[in-house]
Amino acid sequence: MRRPRLRFRFRLLRSLLSKYVLIILLALVFLPVAIPLVSFLFFFPFQEEPAGPYRSGIDLENQWHAEVNRLDGASPEQMGEALARLREAYAGSSVFWVDGTGRTRLELPEGQGLPDLWSTSYTVQFMKARYDADPFTVVAFVGGDPAQGFAVLQLPREILKGESAERDKVYGSRMTIGLLSVLAFFLFISWSFFYRIRRRLLRLEEAMTKPGPNGLPEPVAVKQSDEIGSLENAFNAMLGQLEESRAREQEEEKLRNQLIASLSHDLRTPLTTLRGHAFRLSQEPLTGQGSELVGHIDRKIDYMERLIENLFSYTLLTAGKYPYQPQQVELVRLVRTLFANWYPVFEQEGFEQELELPDTAVYWRLDPHWLERILDNYFQNMLRHARSGRYVAVRVTEDERGPALRLEDRGPGMGADSASKGAGMGLAIAALMEREMGLVREVRTGSGGTEIVLRQPSAGDAGKAGSY
Amino acid sequence: MKQKHILYIEDDQEIGSWVKDYLTQKGYVVHWRTSGDGAEELAEGADLAILDVMLPGIDGFTVGQRLKKKAADLPVLMLSARSSVHDKLDGLQFADDYMTKPFHPEELAARVEVLLRRYGRSGQQEITLGHLSVYPDENRLVDSRTGEEILLTGKQHQLFMLFLRHPNQILTKEQIYETVWGESYLPGDKTLNVHIRYLREKIEADPGSPAILETIRGIGYRVKQG
Repeated sequence: MRRPRLRFRFRLLRSLLSKYVLIILLALVFLPVAIPLVSFLFFFPFQEEPAGPYRSGIDLENQWHAEVNRLDGASPEQMGEALARLREAYAGSSVFWVDGTGRTRLELPEGQGLPDLWSTSYTVQFMKARYDADPFTVVAFVGGDPAQGFAVLQLPREILKGESAERDKVYGSRMTIGLLSVLAFFLFISWSFFYRIRRRLLRLEEAMTKPGPNGLPEPVAVKQSDEIGSLENAFNAMLGQLEESRAREQEEEKLRNQLIASLSHDLRTPLTTLRGHAFRLSQEPLTGQGSELVGHIDRKIDYMERLIENLFSYTLLTAGKYPYQPQQVELVRLVRTLFANWYPVFEQEGFEQELELPDTAVYWRLDPHWLERILDNYFQNMLRHARSGRYVAVRVTEDERGPALRLEDRGPGMGADSASKGAGMGLAIAALMEREMGLVREVRTGSGGTEIVLRQPSAGDAGKAGSY
Repeated sequence: MKQKHILYIEDDQEIGSWVKDYLTQKGYVVHWRTSGDGAEELAEGADLAILDVMLPGIDGFTVGQRLKKKAADLPVLMLSARSSVHDKLDGLQFADDYMTKPFHPEELAARVEVLLRRYGRSGQQEITLGHLSVYPDENRLVDSRTGEEILLTGKQHQLFMLFLRHPNQILTKEQIYETVWGESYLPGDKTLNVHIRYLREKIEADPGSPAILETIRGIGYRVKQG
């Protein structure tokens, strides 16, 4: 019971879905962490830089207190020197020093409009006016001792703000770039995830559509056991089934052909024996009626032979199993060759024969063996049913509808009751083969004879007449 | 004339016996076997082989192929109950002729004769065609009325021999042209007609109304032989 669950867990781990969920989860967890992280990464190198004194008001205040504290017990000269130095360090600032007695001792630059002597009320007013106002004002007792007086730094807020705004801008844009790269990183991960899926699917599609040497697509190599992997496995399994069923079909076809061949053999063998007996009989001294009867037997054997042949052909044709190999065929030449086989037969029967073929080549697309079979069946039919007319004509003509193959006899017509009936199957086979090869048949039949016209109507590569 | 030996393989007793009787009656020595085993050895002295296809053990196609492989100049005629186009085509890959059952005995005898002649095994020293006496082995043609030898040019000789190899068979213009000239016949080409006319002037008593080389209108030509 444990194994399937393990396998399930294993498969779940390898599935595309879990990979995708993992990427999303990673993004969800990492993005909130990424913001402080990026800010940390970009803030520190920024802080390392040698910066101006005005990082913030608090810093400035602390610095000023520390500087002024260091002036504990300094002489007025030292105070003057230190304050001048400090004022230079804090660009744009103004400084002044009031001693323990409330007297303004130093003013840099001059003319700040300060009283010479600070009354209590002025001091309070000054402090109130400068609290959280412009200029930014820091008041520090010299040496931390109110008795030594106090030193004041004043800095227009504009300078202070400008510095930090600049800093915020640089910091902000770096932050944006940082966050965008984090985002781009996730986009890249998810793009490559889908890109790889797509590539594998395309490869599978190619494998499915490209036929291998045996006509079927080749199996694909399964490298990963995720959803696409199982799709590939399913495809391979399907190929296996296809091959199996094809082999089975071939086996069945082989069996069917064997069956037909042996049935044909089993039917033809006694007919051959029968013919042998009839032949021997014909060589015995016979009465006129005896010879006639032997002739009848012989003709019936011919008839039976054709019947067997037609029966098997018809069965194969209707089952779509009659071998069909269409090709570009020169009609004039083929008709001439085929008719050459029949000429002596018609000659022997005393038929007048006419063959009218053009001196140009006519190309039709068909299986020459099929056309031979069609013509054989028609000629056979003429021999049996149009004997009274003693005329056969074969023509290949060209009119406005293109080339046509015409067979003509002067028999009593197809509707008539011929002396020997039962040729239906031969004509049915001819009709089936014509339809299969795209030939159109027109039949004109009457008491004066029959004309069968065959055409290949499909223009284009087939039915094109050319001349040399 | 030396009797010709025919190797005949047929597993059906009734057919085998009457074909053997018939061909013996026609003057051949028939060696009839009911299976293809050892056919190669038996074929050694034979002038022609007639093979059934569906045999017990090795089938007739295989036997025929083996015979042809061993002796390509032994004519092989397949006599089969298998009548499909593909069986015929398979058979004619190696065999010289293919007949289907039930066959007419006279046709069998005629085809045997044609094959023997085609392979120069007929043993016939002289063939008579109207007023002509033909000596195929010596490539000689004599007007029997005068006793004079008729000399043919290369192409005329090739044409004449082609008809002799295919007696009573209508050969189409394409077949003749392509066999003798070795290239494709182009519709409308008159070369063949010209050569036939020259040949007739030499072999026919009256070239205006030919008695030996017959024109089959629209198809080709035929030389009838008795």
